[in-house]
Parts: sequence; structure tokens; C-alpha cells
Amino acid sequence: DQVLHIVPETFQQVQLLQHLCSTLPLDLWKPLLPEDIWAGEDLHIRVPAPLVQEVKDSLDQHMISYKVLIPDVQELVDQSMPREMSSHGQVPEGYVYTQYHPMEEIYQWMTQIQKSNSELVTQHSLGTTIENRTMYYLQISQPSDKPKKIIWMDCGIHAREWISPAFCQWFVKEILQNYKSDPKISRFLQNLDLYILPVLNIDGYIYSWEKDRLWRKNRSPHMGGTCYGTDLNRNFNSSWGSVGVSYNCSSEIFCGSGPESEPETRAVAQFIERKKSDILCYLTIHSYGQYILTPYGSTTKPPSNSEELMHVAEKAAAALMGKYGTSYEVGSTSLILYSNSGSSRDWAHMIGIPFSYTFELRDNGTYGFVLPPEQIQPTCEETM
Amino acid sequence: SPDSGHKYYLQFTTEDYKSGENAGSCLATVLYPKAKSPPVVTIKCVRTKDQKQIQEEDNTLYQKIRHQTKPIIGNNIPDSYGNIEPALEPVWALAVAGSSYIMWEKSTENLGYFMAQVKSAKQWIRKDDFVEFDYTVLLHEIPTQEIIPCHMRLTWLPGHPLKVKYFCASDNQGPEDGSGTESGSTAGILHARGANF
Repeated sequence: DQVLHIVPETFQQVQLLQHLCSTLPLDLWKPLLPEDIWAGEDLHIRVPAPLVQEVKDSLDQHMISYKVLIPDVQELVDQSMPREMSSHGQVPEGYVYTQYHPMEEIYQWMTQIQKSNSELVTQHSLGTTIENRTMYYLQISQPSDKPKKIIWMDCGIHAREWISPAFCQWFVKEILQNYKSDPKISRFLQNLDLYILPVLNIDGYIYSWEKDRLWRKNRSPHMGGTCYGTDLNRNFNSSWGSVGVSYNCSSEIFCGSGPESEPETRAVAQFIERKKSDILCYLTIHSYGQYILTPYGSTTKPPSNSEELMHVAEKAAAALMGKYGTSYEVGSTSLILYSNSGSSRDWAHMIGIPFSYTFELRDNGTYGFVLPPEQIQPTCEETM
Repeated sequence: SPDSGHKYYLQFTTEDYKSGENAGSCLATVLYPKAKSPPVVTIKCVRTKDQKQIQEEDNTLYQKIRHQTKPIIGNNIPDSYGNIEPALEPVWALAVAGSSYIMWEKSTENLGYFMAQVKSAKQWIRKDDFVEFDYTVLLHEIPTQEIIPCHMRLTWLPGHPLKVKYFCASDNQGPEDGSGTESGSTAGILHARGANF
């Protein structure tokens, strides 16, 4: 099969091309519909192999010039397949990391990942959500006789931020695919363990797939079931309920009935509290805005290690920008974003975890929460 | 004088909403007076495109919409996965332009907005050359994180000011009494020069 690039010059040529599309089984790549073919605009059309000569003859006859954009579509398809994985970690066959996945598929993915990488990966339960779903995290740990510090990363604390769980899955895949071949990653794993929670707010995430794409909070019922949801990122025990929150369930930033009132918050907090002396870095992934946020949101008073926090974050932003030129703003939440209390990032730092960051991924508001899947790869690549 | 409010000095660049191409730079001052009145803004911009190029692009957009034989209807633009059907891109583009007026009017020193999604779009065919659309747009409000639905009616012809009438779900203290309870009432009408952002 070949893909041809044509720029029709006259209305007659447009009509002829539309006629070809309606009489032959041609595959319009751009535009999608024959009625959107315009003079002066790019036309990309895939022609099945047996018809290539006939179509070209017809174009020649009518003096329509064309270029061959793709001489062999199958070859391109084969090239774009994932590389052979016999010597590398296994990732599930056919799992598409450049698409958004519903929760059922993410659960299956976690099981698969553990099975195919059992020397490195174990799956553990943190607890259950308000709707009784199990919260699993993946532990990526290279067997070693020396004790290792921990890096914790959670995604999907806010249901509508779909790019966030997509990033956690991508991150796991990248590590597992490259830990043997990439010296940076292999050194990393010699000294550190990674704990990844791909979806923190599972009930909310499912709700955003099934009922309301722009849902944010969890699904805990209030006022006898007339109102739902606590903002999990206002529910942690860090100056809880003091600023940037609402005490009203109908608000998107409702902080809950008390600090750690939500089972999801408790599940994460209890685990991190237990392991805190080994946790070097706490990362929580959100969208959108393109920020790397440092503590605190609840006060403008800088944290004790603020210089070091900023220095590391600035290096991260520079590395990020080096990939595709995407600029991320770095700074304390209360200074560059807005004040808020009860965030997981503030809480992690307050209990003694030295490096605590919120990443707000792409974009800057153009698509916001409904970031197109074409941006999953570049977003994840630059964030790695 | 320092007692009369907060004044901000801004220097910023603009970019094409869709392509991300640099579109120009601006210098502005924004004064929020102590009393709850709208801000006082002075602004000067230098565009990267010339008037002719802008006119051409406006016309291309206009033709794409006029070229359709049936009234355009659409829902959830972009869809949940972030995709916009190519045929609906012009509809989205107009919604972005119209919403920016709404957000301009609604934003305050402490409240900002982004357009999260076009919930619905419906074209009204007119006898004259103007294009007209009825929209429900969802605005993402910061820092409250609320999603505010707004009903927007938009009319446009290249070379003419974009006309936007709107009513947002949170506009219950409108300047007019009973705004929103009568059919056809609006909370704000805006005219502006040009339709390019």
C-alpha cells in the first residue's frame, strides 16, 4: 500500500478526487471525509497495493500531480512495533501506553507487569476505597544485601487528570524496559527502590470514565447521599482545613469531615508514615499547568531545606525543557499557584520526607484535562 | 496612590491557541481598585502576523463553516480522550474566541478561568452572511476548581466584531434584575474589534 500526497489545484480536480474516493476503496488519512477535500489543501490518501497503478494512471491522465508520501505502509507499520524484548524486561504484549485506559485494564496491566517482571516487581495492597476497591501499588526493587532508600510516586489523586495515571504506567514501562541497558536507570535501582501507585483515587477515576469526565474528588457520600466527594488533596493532615478549602460538600475543594477522613487518604498516609524514615522523595503527579511545585501550599513560610528543594526542582525543569522545549514553572505552591491546605505533598514534607514535589503535567490550558492522546508520549518522555 | 488598590505590571508573549506558534508580545498594566469594580487595564501589543495574513486566516475559517450544507451540531469537543473531529475544529476555534470574552469579564484578582470543554454546539443558519452558534461551554475556575457551565450565543462575520451573549450558571447576581429567569435574557453582551486571538 502507498500513501499519496496531493494538493488539488482546481475545483475540477477536487471533484475528480472525490469521485475516486467514492468509487474505489481508498483510505482517506487527511482530511477524513471526501466532502472536506479542498483546493489548495493537503490531501493524504492510502491506496491499497493492487490499485496503486490504476490510481496513478488516473491522476496522470487528469494532470493531477502527486508525491508518494509513504512508499510502503506495511514496512512503516513493522518498524513502529516495539522492539524485541527477549533480553529486556517484559511488558504486556500490545499494551498501548499512548492511549488512556479504564481502571479494569489498569488492574490487569499491574498483574501482568508483576508476572512478567517477577524478579523486580511485586504488587501490594494499600487498602480499599470508599466503594470497596483495592488500592494496589507496584514495588520495583532490585534484590540487594544493602538497605535502600525509597522513592514514592502516586498518580491519579484527582479523577479528571487522566494524563497522570498514563504517566505512572509509562514510567513503570520505561524503567522495566531499560533497566538492564540504561546505565543511569541501573545505577538508580542499585541504590533506590521505587514504589508506584498508578491510581490513587480509583472510584473517582472510574466515575470520570463512566459518568462525568470532569469529576475531581473521590466518591464518598455526604448528607445522606445527596452530595458526593471529598478532594483527596485537601484531606491530608497538613494544616487541614485552614486555607484554600471549602467545608461544603458541593464544592470541588471540599476538605472532608476531618483530616484523613477518607479511606484513600488513610491508606496512603498510614503506609508512608510507617516507611517514612526510608523515604527519600515523595512525588505526586497532577495536571494541568506545567509546574513543579514545592511545599508549602498552606503557608508562604519556606520549608527548612527550601534551597535544596528548589535546586533539584530547577534541574528537573531544565532537563524537561531540554526534551521538547516545554517550559515548567518551579516554585512553592503558595507563591506561584494558590494557597491550599491538606495536600499530600505538604503532609509528606511535614512528617520529615526531605524531597516532596507535586508535578503538574501538560498542558497550559488549551486542552486542559482532556489532553489528546497524541500528547501522552511527549509528555511522558519529557517528564522521564 | 498606594491606597487605591493593587496594580500589576505585565510583560507577556502570546501564542496561537492551536499551533503554539508565537503570536506576538504585550505590555500591560492592570489596576484592581479597592472597591469591587472592574479592573482598569492599559495594554499595548505587537503582533507577529500582519493584517492581511489575519484576514486570510479568518476567511479560511469562515469558509470552512459556510461550506457545510447542514447546520453544524456537536457535543463534547474535545471528547473525553482529547480528540477533536477535524470537521468540528472551526466550531471549537470560535468557541475558544467567544469563551475568552466570557472569561475576560468574569475573572477577578482572585478568580481565573480556562475553557475546559465545549459541551454542545449548535449552528443557527442565518439569511445574511453571519455565522451564528449556540454553545454550552464548560469553564474551569481557579482556585475553586469548579466547572462552570455557560450558555453562549455567538455571531460572527470576518471583518466584523465578534458578538457574544452569555449566561453562566454562577451568574445569579447579574447587573440586570431577574437575569436568567426570563427567556432571552443575558448577563453580558460584549462587542470587540476583530476576532483574532
